[in-house]
Amino acid sequence: MRARVVITGMGVVSPLGNEVGTFVDALLAGRSGIRPITHFDASALPTRIAGESEIEPALLESSLGDRKIAFARYAAARAMEDAGARPRGKGSVVMGVGLELFAMEHLLRLRAPGFTMPVSLADRLSFLQTPSDLAVHLLSREHGLTAPPTCLVSACAAGTDALGHAFRLVATGRRDWALSGGSDSMINPLGAAGFAALSATSTRNDEPTRASRPFDRRRDGFVMGEGAGVLVLERLDDALARGARIHAEIVGYGSSLDAHGISEPHPEGRGAHLAMKRALDDAGVDTVDCINAHGTSTPKNDPVESLAIERLLGERARHVPVCATKSMIGHLISAAGAVEAIASIGCMQQGMVHPTINLDEPDPACRLDYVPHVARAHAHDTVLSASYGFGGHNAAIVLRRWPHAR
Amino acid sequence: MNIAVTGLGQVVLAPGERTIDPMQFLVARKTRKFMGVQDDLAVVAAARAVASAGLTAPLGERAGVFFAVGYIPFEETDMAPVLAGSIVDGQFSMRAFSEVGYQRAHPLLAFRCLPNMPVFHVSLNLGAQGPYIVAYPGPGQLYFALEQACAALEVGAIDVALVGGVAHQHNFLVEHHLARTDDPVRPDDARDAAGVLVLERASDAGARVRLRLESMSVEYRPFDPLHETPARRESFPVTAPPLAASMELGPATLPIALCEGHRTHRVETRDGLVCESTWSEP
Repeated sequence: MRARVVITGMGVVSPLGNEVGTFVDALLAGRSGIRPITHFDASALPTRIAGESEIEPALLESSLGDRKIAFARYAAARAMEDAGARPRGKGSVVMGVGLELFAMEHLLRLRAPGFTMPVSLADRLSFLQTPSDLAVHLLSREHGLTAPPTCLVSACAAGTDALGHAFRLVATGRRDWALSGGSDSMINPLGAAGFAALSATSTRNDEPTRASRPFDRRRDGFVMGEGAGVLVLERLDDALARGARIHAEIVGYGSSLDAHGISEPHPEGRGAHLAMKRALDDAGVDTVDCINAHGTSTPKNDPVESLAIERLLGERARHVPVCATKSMIGHLISAAGAVEAIASIGCMQQGMVHPTINLDEPDPACRLDYVPHVARAHAHDTVLSASYGFGGHNAAIVLRRWPHAR
Repeated sequence: MNIAVTGLGQVVLAPGERTIDPMQFLVARKTRKFMGVQDDLAVVAAARAVASAGLTAPLGERAGVFFAVGYIPFEETDMAPVLAGSIVDGQFSMRAFSEVGYQRAHPLLAFRCLPNMPVFHVSLNLGAQGPYIVAYPGPGQLYFALEQACAALEVGAIDVALVGGVAHQHNFLVEHHLARTDDPVRPDDARDAAGVLVLERASDAGARVRLRLESMSVEYRPFDPLHETPARRESFPVTAPPLAASMELGPATLPIALCEGHRTHRVETRDGLVCESTWSEP
């Protein structure tokens, strides 16, 4: 017997603001959060634009200067506030967290003669690189979650995977509730250079707000973003009993491995299709009313993802709106799935689908209804949010509006 | 519990041994250039486990891969040319890094160190297209992978689960990490290792059952990671060389304990988890 699981708290850090309402309104207005990089001097890199997020300096400092940890703490605090009273019982933190990337200046210091390790544990942990899993332990302690936490690193699918696994834990009664989502920041020299070396990021530096253009014929790569999305998941009965405000129900999760190519998806979208199909099967439905696509704006992802959706929905595919949040905030990597789930819920609550901006001329291989440029009124009860990771990790969740009409 | 181990595989590199050649298990030789040490270890351990279970690749859509992967490895030799090209007057220069340094990085470097790559290479070479987990980075996270794999088997979502742990620890970045915590690990005590279990429903596995999972528990004590490092203790009295009781095997520890013949495993991890499992032979 599986319990119903609902979302009762949401917190976000995004290039379009750190308050859920503001974030969703900006998406519905079709605003772009992509700008020239300011975190460091990127002027000589091939890609010099990104979706940077703001965070309080004091919180960043107390997070060892690690942006993804600060983002996670901020979004989790907002999610817990939003949830009101803490859910009852033992909860787990289940988060997708971005990778540690070390500071080149620290590497230089490490190799210098006479180097000695900093004295305090905090200083040692922040030297060279800060362990990513610190985030789940900090959140557990700060919010009183006493069941084992988990840190997932399935690349761009990690945020959706985290929500999916948290959903499973709560639905099966193995945890009472969960604080789950994703946090990431790769807007730093090694991250930006690493993606540039793979020719993965857009070089449309002169038009930052037009650089991320999922499904468009002239897309040339993704745009890095940073941020966090954290959600509170609990059983429906518990949420009703404590009078919690319910944002949405999470009704299905599916994942798959492409088992194909290291940096390109299966050409027929086999893995993406399998993950979405498993999510629908898990939800007990054969279609959804809307899809929040992975939609990276890379040459390889977008047509394959479109093909997978066509395979999934058949004749109905062209009548289901498909939107790409990354067109406005860029790719938040491990945080993407969680932030896009919040976007999906926020739009579903308003009976709207946010636009896919910059979609001036669809790629002929992308034949779906991508809601170009302008938000659309579309009352919907279900939305599928998908994430596909480098290395063939595919994940999808199905969310249902609360209260739902059907 | 209706969970059985039908196959086991492990690799533990001896001191000074750089890696293990996975070539015989690769479906395409050209993928070798993308593989780092952790990928080599994972593929060999998984292939051995699958063979010992009497299964053959491709495992298909109903086989999942549930792994915990150790801290991200970086060889200093990979970063040295990048750093050398990024220094001006003895200081790091972002402009030099942008114009010279980063272009000196090996183009396949990212592929060889990312923690999700072991699962990719296992899925590719064994043809597993089911669900997955890539948990990070300690031995306690292997128990999360085990828990979710068992749940997926019990509800019938999959028929086969590869549950494994892998850690490449002899490199400058992981050695730096292991040395900086309270209760630091001496480099000689860490091993590059992988261990993989093939799990199936006992009721389906029949005579192929090697072990049955009798019980599993994971407890957690929240702690302040900025001010304390919980002590690590493990009931894993390995006697056979090259392993020793104090050996740091990262998330590979449980599968290796089972491979070594132990039927009870308990570990208190540096990240506050207390994990225990008991297994029985048919």
